Amino acid sequence: MITGDSHQQIIPPTRSRVKAGFVVFSPDSGKRNIVILNEGELVAVDRKDGIRKVVFTMHPGDLVGVAALLEREKFQYSIEATQDSTITIVSEECMESELKTLPVWLLAVIKNLSTKTHRLKDSLHSARCENTLKSLAEYCSHLKAKTTYPTAELIREFHWQTRIPEAAIQEDLKALARREFISLQDAGNDSEIRIASPLLLRIFTDYLKATEHNVPWEPFQLSLLQKKLLIKLAAADHTQKKDAPDWIAYFKSKGLDIEVSEWIRMLRFGWLDAKSETQFATNTDKIKYYLAALRFENNIKGAL
Amino acid sequence: MILKTGEYLCLEGDKASSLYIVKSGLLSGVSNDCGTLHYYGPGSIVGEFSLLENAPREQSLRAVEDSEILIIEQSVLQSTLEQKPGWISSILTFLAARNHIAQENKKRSDLIQALPSLLFVFKSHLQESGSDNIRLSTLCECVAAINGTSVHDVDKLLLSLQDLGVVKIQGEQIQDKVIRAESLQIIPLLYETLRYRALHQKVSPNILSMTDQMVLSTFIKLARESKAPLHDGLYAISTEQLKSEAKKSMHGFTLTMRTLAPLVQKQLLQPSSSYDIHAPLESIDFFYADFDKILDLLELNRIFPLLDKKLV
Repeated sequence: MITGDSHQQIIPPTRSRVKAGFVVFSPDSGKRNIVILNEGELVAVDRKDGIRKVVFTMHPGDLVGVAALLEREKFQYSIEATQDSTITIVSEECMESELKTLPVWLLAVIKNLSTKTHRLKDSLHSARCENTLKSLAEYCSHLKAKTTYPTAELIREFHWQTRIPEAAIQEDLKALARREFISLQDAGNDSEIRIASPLLLRIFTDYLKATEHNVPWEPFQLSLLQKKLLIKLAAADHTQKKDAPDWIAYFKSKGLDIEVSEWIRMLRFGWLDAKSETQFATNTDKIKYYLAALRFENNIKGAL
Repeated sequence: MILKTGEYLCLEGDKASSLYIVKSGLLSGVSNDCGTLHYYGPGSIVGEFSLLENAPREQSLRAVEDSEILIIEQSVLQSTLEQKPGWISSILTFLAARNHIAQENKKRSDLIQALPSLLFVFKSHLQESGSDNIRLSTLCECVAAINGTSVHDVDKLLLSLQDLGVVKIQGEQIQDKVIRAESLQIIPLLYETLRYRALHQKVSPNILSMTDQMVLSTFIKLARESKAPLHDGLYAISTEQLKSEAKKSMHGFTLTMRTLAPLVQKQLLQPSSSYDIHAPLESIDFFYADFDKILDLLELNRIFPLLDKKLV
């Protein structure tokens, strides 16, 4: 079994008996100890603003000071005996000497538990999303088109929703402005944001999602034939319903000879909706989406 | 233990009481809760809670490359601890308990954190589409993109909102589920109220005092019984009626210019003539109000404290 250095001399903990009222630990002492209560009763007392407040009561078997000792967290309460009590004090040196005798895997367990808790506590104050630009683009896609919003207020609102730091939001706003999805305007002392197109912001978010997952994004994977079909569909009467052979014949009449496989792909892209079991009509929203993606490919890719 | 590339070491939810130590190779771990892949290289340990508390495996672990795994069984832990002072065991218990508390706090915080984004997406959708509903899949996708919120958290929030009568979850299959707003105004109002509190660090003007709520409830009661014609789309209630009904429903409370002043200032009640706080209430003949607006505000004031309680 893998173990630590067991030849190290162990410094034993101190066991003492204290009278009721004795202050076992004071936050001002600067010491880092684990206090274990063997018998009696202890209380953790907060003396903030000169008011004495009992925060919690300790019963035999309870201990305090682990986080202070292992993670250097400040222990802010004083520990006082409310009855005559027996306590064990594990000092920093004692703890260190004992930890050195533990098997490495057990040390790793202690360290892992401590690190995980620390990480969880830190994450309470940090943003949950990983891609801040995608997050902002999604947020802005829900704002109204051609409407201006005060920048400072928008940043605060978005920060409240996501906890993304304001400096990062400002950078991401510039990134969206560079792509011309929004525009930043000066309005006297304050600046304003104008949403150019919520649709483009939505398309950009979808593109970023696909990129994140290393999935090819369909609008940028279209063949020349598919692009031509898309344009023909955009020009077609959207109220017109046809069955599949009629649509294929329609494309043939426009000089686009397509196989059934191409027809199936168009359905998968969502360019045509089934209106009944056999009848299909164009889905103008989907067609608009693909056309906008193709038209603004450079903006989306940030290659302006 | 030797694992060949692609072999599974354990599946999420498996009963367990041992710790894994990666001696060589690489493992990947994934759980249903969080889709993100975690990697464990040489020296990594996985399964502390299985070792300490017999907790089921938190992740499915799979060998990304040929790997050697050392397994520490609970019996090894026990025999090790028996040779050590009792407080070492107490420290382990304490650290595990502390981690559970931190996990619970994180879960609660994530849930609270996700609410504004959920309301924001919902209200924007209602305003943009003019409909009273949103597909659950759309809502989840948008909230996840803004805030990294899990489907599980969105579900939990929606169930809380459903309990409060704010939304109704319809449909059986997850892909067909639709979230319907019980009132078109409540979602935007709720979002605005939370937003105001967060951005201005004070209570939103939408949150009314108990007296204001009682006066408005009295107005609503009278408006429901009223047969008088609408005045510019507003209900008109005579001061005399309002005063006498308030006395009945508010346990003898006497309405004065001063008690009605906050509602007049917020333009929830509009006096039929100029409002002088020092004049007797009888100097005003009628009060006008938008019935739907008041009803929505009263509903908001019912929900708001309950929502805070439910989430916090």
